[in-house]
Amino acid sequence: MTQLIWDGLFVGSFYALIALGYSMVYGIIKLLNFAHGDIYMLGAFIGFALLTSLGGIPGSLSLVALLGVLLVSMLLTGSAGVLIERLAYRPLRGAPRLAALITAVGVSFSLEYGVSAIAGPNPRAFPVRLEGGVFQVLGARISLPQIILMLIAAGLMIALNTYIQRTSTGRAMRSIALDTNASLLMGINVNAVITRTFFIGSALAGAAGVMAGAYYGQIDFLMGFIIGLKAFTAAVIGGIGNIKGAMLGGLVLGFVEAFGTQWFGGQWRDVFAFAVLILFLTLRPTGILGERVTERM
Amino acid sequence: MKFGTRNTILLGIASAMVFSTAGCSGGLLSGGSSGTATTSGTVKLGMVVPLSGSSAPTGAYMKNGAQLAVDEINKAGGVLGGRKLELLVEDEACDAQQAVASANKVVSEGAVVSVGGYCSGATLPTLPIFQKANIPMIIPAANSQELVAQGLANVFMINGTGKQQSTTALAFMKKSSYPTVALVDDNTSYSKDITTETQSQIQKDGSVKVLLNTSVTAGESDYSAVVRAIMSKNPALVYWTGYYQEGGLIINQLKKAGFTGAIMVADGSVDPSLVKIAGQGAEGVFATMTQTPDTLKGAQKWIANYKAAFKSDPGPYSTQSYDAVRLAAKAIGDAGSTKGADIIKALSAINGFSMFSGPLKFTTEHTLSSGGFVILVVKGGKFTLDNALS
Repeated sequence: MTQLIWDGLFVGSFYALIALGYSMVYGIIKLLNFAHGDIYMLGAFIGFALLTSLGGIPGSLSLVALLGVLLVSMLLTGSAGVLIERLAYRPLRGAPRLAALITAVGVSFSLEYGVSAIAGPNPRAFPVRLEGGVFQVLGARISLPQIILMLIAAGLMIALNTYIQRTSTGRAMRSIALDTNASLLMGINVNAVITRTFFIGSALAGAAGVMAGAYYGQIDFLMGFIIGLKAFTAAVIGGIGNIKGAMLGGLVLGFVEAFGTQWFGGQWRDVFAFAVLILFLTLRPTGILGERVTERM
Repeated sequence: MKFGTRNTILLGIASAMVFSTAGCSGGLLSGGSSGTATTSGTVKLGMVVPLSGSSAPTGAYMKNGAQLAVDEINKAGGVLGGRKLELLVEDEACDAQQAVASANKVVSEGAVVSVGGYCSGATLPTLPIFQKANIPMIIPAANSQELVAQGLANVFMINGTGKQQSTTALAFMKKSSYPTVALVDDNTSYSKDITTETQSQIQKDGSVKVLLNTSVTAGESDYSAVVRAIMSKNPALVYWTGYYQEGGLIINQLKKAGFTGAIMVADGSVDPSLVKIAGQGAEGVFATMTQTPDTLKGAQKWIANYKAAFKSDPGPYSTQSYDAVRLAAKAIGDAGSTKGADIIKALSAINGFSMFSGPLKFTTEHTLSSGGFVILVVKGGKFTLDNALS
């Protein structure tokens, strides 16, 4: 039982990190950025390239090197997110939402097969692997790498929350989410704020990608697909557009999967996850924490 | 060997229907060269294998193996009194649509025997194309039971089948006395084929107990659910029948969770990447696999020839492709013509033709009478032959 809770919490924190980007972008420009899962993949590959170029890293320094690579990867994936927004989404800002959605799917394919063309279609083994001791806590096996990764994830989420609640840019983000035109009239540089949103969301997904590579040890160019859909599910469960909802949704989805597979068997894991998505979409489309969304003109 | 998802297969069959009609009319318009006997010029062998996509490395091994046999046969005087062999290689990309287009291409270019086929899911839709053109197929690697299930006269498989692989797996479990086993597949046809067959053979046999038979979704990173399920049943052996990518992750996560039992994988997981992904945990992992040049006794000279010709080491299915071409040449020689029906008759009649997998004689369903599966074990980071069954 404790093992289930721990496994759910661990996987859930990955979902939460990626779901944040989905939710932030949706909250601000009402775009379902389906390329977001591929930013996660891009992060893993950037981390892979950086670590490979660093060459042999002694085991004692691997965590330090990994943290450095994590930061650089976040900067690069963040910039990639900004670039994608500038090239693919901004020109379609006034277009019907369906057009932007299809563009997002197109961006997703471009990223996947672009990486496949550059890095090759074969899965790669990550050069640095987080290894560490295992503790028995109340019958659950908890490993040091898991704790480190969850601390990083929690730290990133707390930092994001503070940024959005306490800074002026954060306030601007929230106001654009409420009413874009009014924010424009109040003198907020809407484009700059949207750029920043994409940067933060993509950086978080990139961080998750590097962390997944270091923990699971293997990356491939399609790794963002399923986890992107799961993160979308997490965002919907928590209430899409809501930051705290995305974090909560990720953890809830992690639990749902862990308990679902325990009761119904491993092959039902994804059936279970996406059945929950459908249930939420029909019964409570606003999610756990979401507010009622009114259509604005 | 590989098998795509159900959707790909359905799509493939649908497109095969569309394309095969087109292929036929194309053949007629181009003078009916397809499938009809030729009496002069080179004798063309068609080979549709993956040259792009994630299976591209294996396609290259197969192409080289086949080319080596073609060169040797041509050097020795060719077939049918001095006619040279010519290999037509086309890409299937492990994709049904691409395979169908490529099969049509080699048919229209006048191939008289097909010696390709790696991904079962991509090979399946090419069956009707070669069948309509009356071209015999010697399939070197693809090994789904479905390829021969239709009972087509022109289809011959020279790789062991899923059924034979299961028999080998069970023999190993009994010989090494593993009392309990967990079967894990990735829900693709190829993989599920093996677990289902293994389970039914185990039940018939009765000396091993299946504690768990479950599936995972391919393409994910986190397999903690299946790891938890395995840990709670604690079997003596875990048999994974999917591909190396998920296999490596599952082995790694099982070891991290403290699993101490034995792990065995099927032929789809026998790849150097499995060891890279699984890390330390791969050491001692068993595999059911057909012989590769590395594990074959007495293949050193052949390996040296291969290296001299292509400046690289042979890999999985190099030998089978080499044998497929030799077998095709032998059958053409026996038949005394390049007519499809004659070659098929000659193939069915072959008895004791010497190949890497042993003396060849086809069963009535055109598969090998013995699959030639052996047990490999990871030692020092490499798959090596284990003598558990010898």
